[in-house]
Parts: sequence; structure tokens; C-alpha cells
Amino acid sequence: MTQQEDTSIPSYTLNCRMSQEAAALERLCQVVRIRGFRIARMAVESAGEHIHIALTLEGTRPIAMLQSQLEKLHTVAEVALGQSSGVRVQTA
Amino acid sequence: MNGAQHILEAFHRHHISTVFGYPGGCIMPLYDALVDDVDVEHVLCRHEQGCALAADGYARASGKLGVCIATSGPGATNLITGVANAHRDSIPMLVITGQVPSALIGTDAFQETDVLGMTLGIVKHSYLVDDTNALPGIMEEAIELAQSGRPGPVWIDIPKDVLLNDAAHTPLPAPEQQSAGCPDLTQALAMLREARKPLLYSGGGISLAHAEDSFRRFAESSALPAVVTLKGIGNPGKHNPFNLGMLGMHGSRAANRAVDECDMLLVIGARLDDRATGKLDGFAPNARMIHVDADAAEINKLRPADVAIRGDLNAILQALATALQENPLAISTWQKQCRNWHTTGGFQAADNEEPLAPITGPAFIRQLSRIAPDDTVIACDVGQHQMWVAQHYEFDHPRHHLTSGGLGTMGFGLPAAIGAQFADRRRTVINVTGDGSFMMNAQELATIRRYNLPVKLIVMDNQCLGMVRQQQELFYNNRESQIDLDDNPDFVAMARAFDIPALHIERTDQIRRGIETILAYNGPMLLHVAISREENVWPIVKPGASNREMIDETRRPSTANKEQVA
Repeated sequence: MTQQEDTSIPSYTLNCRMSQEAAALERLCQVVRIRGFRIARMAVESAGEHIHIALTLEGTRPIAMLQSQLEKLHTVAEVALGQSSGVRVQTA
Repeated sequence: MNGAQHILEAFHRHHISTVFGYPGGCIMPLYDALVDDVDVEHVLCRHEQGCALAADGYARASGKLGVCIATSGPGATNLITGVANAHRDSIPMLVITGQVPSALIGTDAFQETDVLGMTLGIVKHSYLVDDTNALPGIMEEAIELAQSGRPGPVWIDIPKDVLLNDAAHTPLPAPEQQSAGCPDLTQALAMLREARKPLLYSGGGISLAHAEDSFRRFAESSALPAVVTLKGIGNPGKHNPFNLGMLGMHGSRAANRAVDECDMLLVIGARLDDRATGKLDGFAPNARMIHVDADAAEINKLRPADVAIRGDLNAILQALATALQENPLAISTWQKQCRNWHTTGGFQAADNEEPLAPITGPAFIRQLSRIAPDDTVIACDVGQHQMWVAQHYEFDHPRHHLTSGGLGTMGFGLPAAIGAQFADRRRTVINVTGDGSFMMNAQELATIRRYNLPVKLIVMDNQCLGMVRQQQELFYNNRESQIDLDDNPDFVAMARAFDIPALHIERTDQIRRGIETILAYNGPMLLHVAISREENVWPIVKPGASNREMIDETRRPSTANKEQVA
């Protein structure tokens, strides 16, 4: 964890596993955006009927709120919060 | 069987007998299959938005799945407002659209739009079907998904070739029966018993879970003072002595006062919407909170719960009722206090004794409530009339009150009334609308005429967008902007042009006869009610303010603020 500034924005990593369906990634990204987070990094790997997505996200809202919204998506099988919770990105 | 026939087979399998739609190029194979189908009644609306909102009204009134159908491109985009409306209010809906043939997707073909992409934010789930063999399974999954858990619209976009291709008939697995277990309620019951001023706060989730009866029994056995959201109106019944009615922006002083003073809030099937809570920081400031909901994502979303319970509302309410019946709460002082508040601070409107006086909105709605049969369904539009209905009509069941809560869709009421009438052809169904809302889907008068639906239409006409005018008056220094509708058409003549008889009233002594005339008429009829342009909905909480800061007619703000109002 780095020294924090008042202007910093929390950063998180989320790992998602979801079904390989039309618009699966768009659906995930749409929820991330509308629930108040910005995607700083994204890695996608296709594995049979599933895709694995590793997201680094920035946002000031509670990450648990986003996690529960993502878990509601029909195509999402699993959402796991990574270890970087609390690492902060300075904005200015 | 081709893809279109598989869709109809899914309808049969799930006893879907009424669908609302509008044909066009890419959905033609399904309309062709409908020609030979005698079990599914297809209701032809006059605009796809009317189809979606009629399906929504059908679902709200019946508790069943609403189904709407349209073609690609403009057919699909015209559905969007209606589907968003269903999404915001968690209404179970199946949406089926045709799409351009698979080979043409992405070529900017005639009537091609990226339906899947543009609707992601307004559906519970959606599919673009690329193989006819997958269609039967997708239909099964979509129908189940739309109605399970927290319901919502599920959209299936189907290319024309997928509708036309044959698919092998493969038997589908029987749906899994899920048991509705009850979570541990020990902590919640302990907190309820510790509270001296507990308050029950419920919303639309009760009906979404088909838990109206369980909720009523729980409210009776607990004798908890109760407030409801706009979508919870009708619960826990008009005869419950502790029902304080609607809270929030246009809620009663009594309901908002009870929230302000309570020390424990039992929230069931409600999501703490901003129109209900006002400024969240000032909402129920002294209360601990138990939050019960079917949707885990709603719990702790806006305010942390002291006890969170996710599960089947029916099972939870039944268990709570049993526990409190065996050992009732000792809250008589608080009950008495709430009843006193309700007597002095409930919704009130004097019946004007002056026969020649102009009609006021609240007085009209109170008379309508007294005259209409008990099981009448009222389908509202959006605006001042919607709030007068919420405040002054005495509903005894939430499915009798159809209102666009989350999205606030002007134009909802008329097609929703059509849907409700198809849900029960013998029921009295009344669309209470305003002159602004009425014009947003007035083309559906033709649908009423075509099917000879006995829907009653009440147009409360103040010649302006009244709710916007009211907020401009109160919060924008009375600077009126684009709210005049004084060039409205002659609504009586307009109805008659659709072969629907109509009547105009404007004086207090005409109210009773007007209402009785349209209710007695054997068929659709419109009542045009002229009301004052200057009338406001009272009380009101300024958007973004605390519910404690209610404004009423005697306490208008002396200096208006030019702030953004959402």
C-alpha cells in the first residue's frame, strides 16, 4: 500500500469467470461503468465455454456493491476480489 | 419444426396465451406461424412502445409473464422505453425481436440495429440466437429467468434465417423445483423486540414475490405501523389500522414523521429509492435497520443494514408472522402515536361543497375511489394525477394500482390498462391520465376499439405539464419553460374519432354523474375532466432535500432556488 493522498482513488482487482456468449464482455464492462468504476487494465483469456477476465478498476464507491451487481449477471459464474484492494492510484 | 414454431411451442408449454406485438420484415416467419396457432392470442397494438407497455401492464395486473414481439431496427428501438420501464420496476417480461439474416449482421443492412448492444443496460439478460437448434433451450431459460429471483425483462433477438431454419425436436428437461427455505431470523426478531418504535417499510418487492397475502398476515399479526413506497401501495390493505400510506417526496406528513421518529426500520421488498427516502443522510436518522429482500445486491447498496436477510419473502414473512403471533410486540404507545399522526397528518382533501366550483384533482380522485368497484385496476400515467391517485385512492391490493415507479414513463397508463384488461376481461380497468401523458400513446385508442375493450379513460386536463410547472414554480423562481399545452386537441372529439364515446366535465357537481356514466357504459368510454392549471400536489419534498423538509400549501418557499432538480 502506498502513501495515500486525499485526492487518490482506490484501486482494485477483480477476477471474473463468465460464459462465452454474445456481448458477454460488453455486458460486464457496461455494469462496471454504470456502477461508477473505470477500467485501468483488462486481460481476457478464452478457455472453452468460459472466459476469464482480470480487471484492475478504479473508483470511489464500495467495491462490494460492484461485486454483487456483477454476480447478478446471468453469464457470470464467479467474481473474486483480488489482493490489491487498498492500493491507491493518485489522480493529481 | 422451424425456429418460429419452436417459439410457439414454448408459449404453449408455459401456458402463455396472450402476447402483444407488431409485425415487420425480419419477424415475419413468427407471424406466419401465428396464422395456424389457435392457442395464442396476438394483440396488435399501434406502436411497439404500446406493445411493450401493454405486456408490462398485463404482467403487473396478472402476476404472469408479459410477452411482446417486434421486428428488427425501428421495431426493436421502439420497444426500448417499455422494456426499460419493466426493467426499472422488475416486471417479468419476454421480448422477442426479429433480426436481419445472420449473414447480413454487421453489413448495415436494411432495418439492422445492434439490438443486443443497445439494450444491455435495460434487461435482466439477453440473447442473440445464432443457431436454430439452440432456440428451444434459450426459450426455456429466458422464460424461467424472467420470472425467477428478482424478475425482469429478458430479450431474445433472432435473425430471420434462425426463425426459418428447421431444428430437431429435442425433449427439454423438466424445470428444477426450488425449495423456498427460510433463513435464520433470530437476530431480526431480537432487534424487533428491543425496539420501542419499530416501523414496517415495504415496496414493490412484495408483489414481485407474490407475497401479498403473507405480507398482509404479517402486518396484521405484528400490528406494526406501516409505510409503503409508491409501488407498495395497496399493502397492507386499506382496513389495516396502522397503515400510514405512502412515504417520500409526495408522501404524507404522517408517514414521513413516523420514519423520522422510528428507532427500528424493517424494510421488506424495497430498495430505498431516492424518491422515497429523500436525502439519505437525513432518512430515519434514529433507526437501526433490518433489510429483507430477494436481491442480495439491494442490501447494503445505499444504507448499511444492521441485519440483512436475503431469501424468499413468502417464507420469511410467514415465519415472522408465526413468531410474533406467539409473542406479540409491546408497542401500544408507539401505535397510538402513529395513529394520531395519521389522523392529523394523513392525506386530506376537502370535498368541495360548492357545486359550481372548479374540479380539484384530489377531490375527484377521492370520489372515484368511493364510487369504483373495490377490485378496480387503476393504470396511472406519470405526473400530478399519478401522485393524486397514490395519495387519495384507497387501494386494497397492490395489483390494483399500476404505476410507472422507477422509470416514470409518461404514456405508460393507456397501454398498461390495455394489458390489464386482457389479463381479466371482466375487471373494471381505468386509465387515469393527464393531458401530457395521454398524448404520448394516444394511438392505442385504436387498440381499445379494435378489441372492444371496456377500458375507461379519465383525462385530467390542466392544459400544461403540471408536475414540471409545479417544480418550476417552487424551485425555479416561477420561470415557466415549455410546459404550456393549451393547444391540446379536443379530447372528446378525438375519442369519438376512434369511435369511443366521451364526456366532458368541469364543475364539482358533475363529478359523480361523470364517473357513474363511464362506469355504467358497456364498453370503452372517455371522461375529460377540466382542472385548474395552477393546482399543485401537496405536500412535496424538494428533490435532494430531507423528507423532514416537506413543503405544503401553507408553507411555500418564500425565496425559490434555481437549483438543478432531478
